Order: sequence, then structure tokens, then C-alpha cells
Amino acid sequence: MTSRQQGRRAVVTGLGVVAPNGVGADAFWKATRQGVSVLDRISRDGCTELPLRIAGQVRDFDPQAVIDSRYLVQTDRFTHYAMAAADLAVADAGFHPDAEQPYAVGVVTAAGSGGGEFGQRELQQLWGQGPQFVGPYQSIAWFYAASTGQISIRGGYKGPCGVVASDEAGGLDALAHAARAIQRGTDAVVAGAAEAPLAPYSMVCQLGYPELSLADRPDRAYLPFTAQACGFAPAEGGAMLLLEDEQAARRRGAPVRAHLAGHGATFTGASRWEESREGLAAAIRIALADARTAAEDIDVVFADALGVPAADRAEAFALADALGPYAERVPVTAPKTGIGRAYCGAPLLDVAAAVLAMEDGVLPPTPNVTEACHDIALVTGRARPAELRTALVLSRGLMGSNAALVLRRGEGS
Amino acid sequence: MRNTLSYPELAALIQARAGVTVDPVDLERPGSDFDEFGVDSLGLLGVVGELENRHGFKVTAGAESAKTPAEFLELVNTSLTKAGA
Repeated sequence: MTSRQQGRRAVVTGLGVVAPNGVGADAFWKATRQGVSVLDRISRDGCTELPLRIAGQVRDFDPQAVIDSRYLVQTDRFTHYAMAAADLAVADAGFHPDAEQPYAVGVVTAAGSGGGEFGQRELQQLWGQGPQFVGPYQSIAWFYAASTGQISIRGGYKGPCGVVASDEAGGLDALAHAARAIQRGTDAVVAGAAEAPLAPYSMVCQLGYPELSLADRPDRAYLPFTAQACGFAPAEGGAMLLLEDEQAARRRGAPVRAHLAGHGATFTGASRWEESREGLAAAIRIALADARTAAEDIDVVFADALGVPAADRAEAFALADALGPYAERVPVTAPKTGIGRAYCGAPLLDVAAAVLAMEDGVLPPTPNVTEACHDIALVTGRARPAELRTALVLSRGLMGSNAALVLRRGEGS
Repeated sequence: MRNTLSYPELAALIQARAGVTVDPVDLERPGSDFDEFGVDSLGLLGVVGELENRHGFKVTAGAESAKTPAEFLELVNTSLTKAGA
């Protein structure tokens, strides 16, 4: 990544996951490795009578138990997930920020839609009762930047903070943004994304996406790379990472879990899936060059796997364009078929899975999918052991962003 | 509503509108301020809105920027008196 200060490199030292298939990296990885599918009918109040029926809902998360009561009142569910994931990441890293150095820690999140549930509640107050009945926290809770702000304030992290609003692929761009902050001199950045799109207003907004799956069977709703592909099932949740300067991590004796080795991002226009072939291939090439990595060094690809035939075809072609003949051999997986796509949170969950897969030496499978109809080596059925040193994570957004991230396995402590 | 807002009532409103649990005894302690309880001006604005909606009177502008519970009660209760409640 560009404008490096000599020797400064971003590494992952902590993972915080709030996902439909588990809260906490251990529960998430256990379910992901087993290929469990938790896609199911949406059961949340107000959400059960809409044409969108199947999604990945976070069920093992009790906000009352983990979120301070003031934030339950003042923030939306997407911020509850982000705050909880940030706490988990910081704890996972054994990180204790130096109170004397508040500017050494920053926060970067990506957001695709902000706090729809909170916003809907207050807007109903507005037209139902009048402006004087709108709560003042509406002014901060529904904005894209709410999670970054709350994590920063609560943790006392006064270093570079930001929010990346660049579509689903923004999840990967947020990590690149955080890595640049580290290269420029910040010691640690809490970075990632979590979303909460399963609320009535948010769901109605999604109904406008032609790529959304309206299937009513959980095992048929999201089948990328197959002849039965009928769109994607959405999900909520996401992951936050603790990223640190490698030397700072080593100084405090923290195990280096993974290196953020390279990133590339391109834009090819909303729902232009055929063009995304070129954009995604370019993003992969940029990321590989950034990581100084050859195509053959990639041990696993975490695919974007949109589940729309034209998009799936474009992704398979993009891999062939960027990786050459090796594209037919490199293991490709899409664990998100078991949990759905959590918008900006989706690529973060893939990054978390990639780090855990490299540590465990296991390729997690693609739930519900039995056979790919494209020339890719999709991991289906069961997880299988593999020596994984380098992972490529891909993400595309419905609005046209494409991104690729290269992760390299850490060396531990 | 009685003609003044009390500390226990204020504590209950802060709980409901800002999500912050405070002991009325602490609110009443001389020298206490909202900062130490983590109650910000948005929280106080919510309390003001709730009082106005519930009781149909106007709280003096700027009450939400009060630094201390004593100052806030004073501003609210003066507004109440003016409104003839």
C-alpha cells in the first residue's frame, strides 16, 4: 500500500465477530468450518410480512447483556453490533491502550446504510405525532459514521477516525484505509464493519435491488455459481479487527495473526455485472502487485459470490483473467452462502474466516452449494485440510464497487 | 404535574431519554455536574422534549446546555412557574 513509512506494516492481532452463525470468533469459526447454514425465515417484529423472507439473522446476541443501557437508547442496532465486535476484537488481541497515548489508536468502519431501524422509529414519531416528538439522538444514531464515533468516544481512541461509504466492497476499503493510517504512524486501528439491514424500512429499501433473492426456502435462497442461482440472501452483523503496526504488536508481545499484504479497488457501475469482470480482475491485479505476490501464491479465494448468474460468471472470468490458468485450480470458497451477505459486513466476515482458515489449516466449505457450473474449484460439502499461507478476499457492491484484499498468514508471536 | 420538577423525576427522565442510570441523591449532591454522569446535551434535550410533550409548556431555550442538575432544575422550574403550572 502506498506512502509507507519505513518498516511500518499493518497486521491483524484481534478478531471480533458478530455473525448470524455465531458471536465471537470461536463460535463463528466452528460453524463456518462445519459448513452450517443458518439462513432462515426472518422472525423479527414487523419483518415477517414482506416479500423478502430468507436472511441471515443474528440470533445469539442479547443487546441488553452486552451493551450499556445508554447506547441502547442512543444508538441503532448496527452500532450495537459494531461496538460489541470492537470490544471482542480488542479483548481477543489482549490490547490495553495506553491512556497516555490516546492519539495512537484510531477507528475506521464501513457502512452501507446506517441505522435504519432507529431512523424509522423516529421518522414515524415525526409524521405520527410531530417534530417535537423526534428524539434528539436521531441526529447521530442513523448516520453512517455513528459506529465509528461511538467506538472512538467510548474507547477514548483519538487517533485517525473515519467511515468509508463505498458500497459493500467498502468493507475491504476500510481495512486498506486503516492500514494506510498505520503506515503513516498510527499504532493501532479498530477497523471493520457491521450492518443491521433486517428492519422493516431497510427491508423495503432492499426490495428495489434486482439481485435480492425472494426465494422462500432457506436452502434454495442463495446458491451462487450454480444453475439455480436466484440472487442473494441478505444478512446482518459483521466483524471488527484490531489492526496494529507490526513492530508495535511485537513490542507488546502480541501474536501477529495475519498481514494485510495488498489491496485494490475499482468501480464499474451499479448492477453492471458483465463489466464487473474487468473491474474485479483489475482490483485483483492491483492487490497482488501491492502485496508483491504471484497468482500461484494464492492458496484460497474467498469469493464475492453474489448469486446472480451474470455476476457469478463475471467473477469466474475475472479470476481467470487475473490468475491465468491457475484460476481453475485455486480453491475458491464462499462461506457466506450459509449466513447471507451482510453488505459491508460481508467481506469483513470473509476476512475473519480467511484469518481463521489460515491459522487452522482448513478450507471452509460453501454451504448449500453442491456443484459449481463455472470453471472454478469451489470448495463444497465438507471442510478440508490445506496449508494456507496467502488468501485473496473479493467483494463487489450492488452500486458498482469492486475490491480485492490479499492476506498473508502471521507468524504468531 | 406538581409545580416543580424533583430530582427523582429528573433521574427517571434521564434514564428513559438518555439511557443513563443516575441516583437522584447524586444528582442532588452540591457540585455534581452532568459530565460526571455521562449525560450530554442531546440527552438533556430529550428530557426537555419529554417534559414539554407531557405537560404542554415551553422550557426556556438553553436548558439543555445546563452544566449541573441544580441549574437545569432551576431553569425548568422557572419555566413552569411562568407557565402558571
